Amino acid sequence: MNLIDLYIQEVTRRLPIKSRQDIALELRSTIEDMLPEDYTEEDVTLVLKKLGNPAVLANGYMDRPMYLIGPKYYELYIQWFKWILPIAVTITLVGFFVGTIMAAPENQTLIIFVAKQAISEGIVQVLFTMFQVFFWLTLVFAVIERVDHKGHKPQGSCFKEWAPEDLKKITVLPKERAVPTMETVGRMIWTVIWVTVYFNADNILGIYKQGTEGMMSVTPSLNQDVLNANWLLVILAAILEIGLSIYKWKAKQWTIKLAWVNAISQIISLLLFTIIITSPNLFTSEYSSFLTNNLTFIHHPETFIIRIIIAVFLISIAADAYQGFKKAYFPVPTDNSHKKSGVGK
Amino acid sequence: MSTLLNSLRVELRRGTLTLAVLSQLRSPQYGYSLVLSLEKSGITIDQSTLYPLLRRLEKQELVTSSWDTSESRPRKYYVLCEMGLEVFQQLKKEWQQLSEELYLLLKGDDPDEPN
Repeated sequence: MNLIDLYIQEVTRRLPIKSRQDIALELRSTIEDMLPEDYTEEDVTLVLKKLGNPAVLANGYMDRPMYLIGPKYYELYIQWFKWILPIAVTITLVGFFVGTIMAAPENQTLIIFVAKQAISEGIVQVLFTMFQVFFWLTLVFAVIERVDHKGHKPQGSCFKEWAPEDLKKITVLPKERAVPTMETVGRMIWTVIWVTVYFNADNILGIYKQGTEGMMSVTPSLNQDVLNANWLLVILAAILEIGLSIYKWKAKQWTIKLAWVNAISQIISLLLFTIIITSPNLFTSEYSSFLTNNLTFIHHPETFIIRIIIAVFLISIAADAYQGFKKAYFPVPTDNSHKKSGVGK
Repeated sequence: MSTLLNSLRVELRRGTLTLAVLSQLRSPQYGYSLVLSLEKSGITIDQSTLYPLLRRLEKQELVTSSWDTSESRPRKYYVLCEMGLEVFQQLKKEWQQLSEELYLLLKGDDPDEPN
């Protein structure tokens, strides 16, 4: 095959079959028009150089875009990423923790097993989820880009053209008032972790001793039966915590109302926690004697520990509630400045 | 600087290409004759732009095409059809108006220009 044939083939192989023959014929006649009577290979090279890259020429003949996601959908594409990625990662993490804790073998310390799994499996799962989100979202948008031929204006968040009314939906959020999405994600994961730990406390919390197969928990600190008896309170606390997280996330910013809801639910959590921690026989007798033997300088070590824990809890919720109100009272920028300068009406 | 100027120039000219091509198609032309007649008027058009453009114009029903096989090598001729002619006249008017406006605008801008 000579250079001309090769060039024409390079162009037409990129085109739909039905238009190939016609374009090939026209291209050949054009190339021959451009060449002198007795042409050399050098002449051919010169002409082909003028016609340029066959891929570019072929693309000119086609209506479909030469990019994956164009300006019309790019913004929307990025927006959806920011939306879907944290949700997908949260679901993956929650699923991972629950699954791992369920699958934990009896003869291993749970916390070490979970930590090991998190390093070997958890990271892979999160990365896999991220790739999945990336792949499918890109695929969907690339298809939309090729199917949709209506207009060329960039799309707003709801696949509609932008209108000035959209501006009213924007809430101006100073950083000081905003509820970070990561906070919601972190809270939910935390809830799942402490609930799981709670119902497996006899495997996790205890006196650890160096055994032949690493750290072994020999003496559980807490009576699992006592803990289990309080299951309703725990579920209540978990629902309260998750509900509060979702509420915060939807509110997007701290308001006085949110600050109150936050403070009240924190107080309820404290009450539930206090009921559980002060239930009789919470500590195992082995652990009680262990405490009495080791903390001889304190009169009632159990009561002492319980008080300390409640105090810490109290301080932390007080700080949290205070932060809520502080953020809620942070001034929102208003458009007063315009009014004063007489720009507005 | 020169690459920027170049890309701006290409951008500026791009919109006028359709009009230039339409203007030459009042009489039948084949691809390369069109290139030559445009070049004669000083308009250089990228060939990889021109041939797809001709096809697009045909798809938009502004020009019709026919193969002439009577000569030694077959040639595809393009010519304006009725609708193409109408569109061409309107675009021409648009261009004349635009160039007048721009002329005034640029004249007012340049103090060196003699009135």
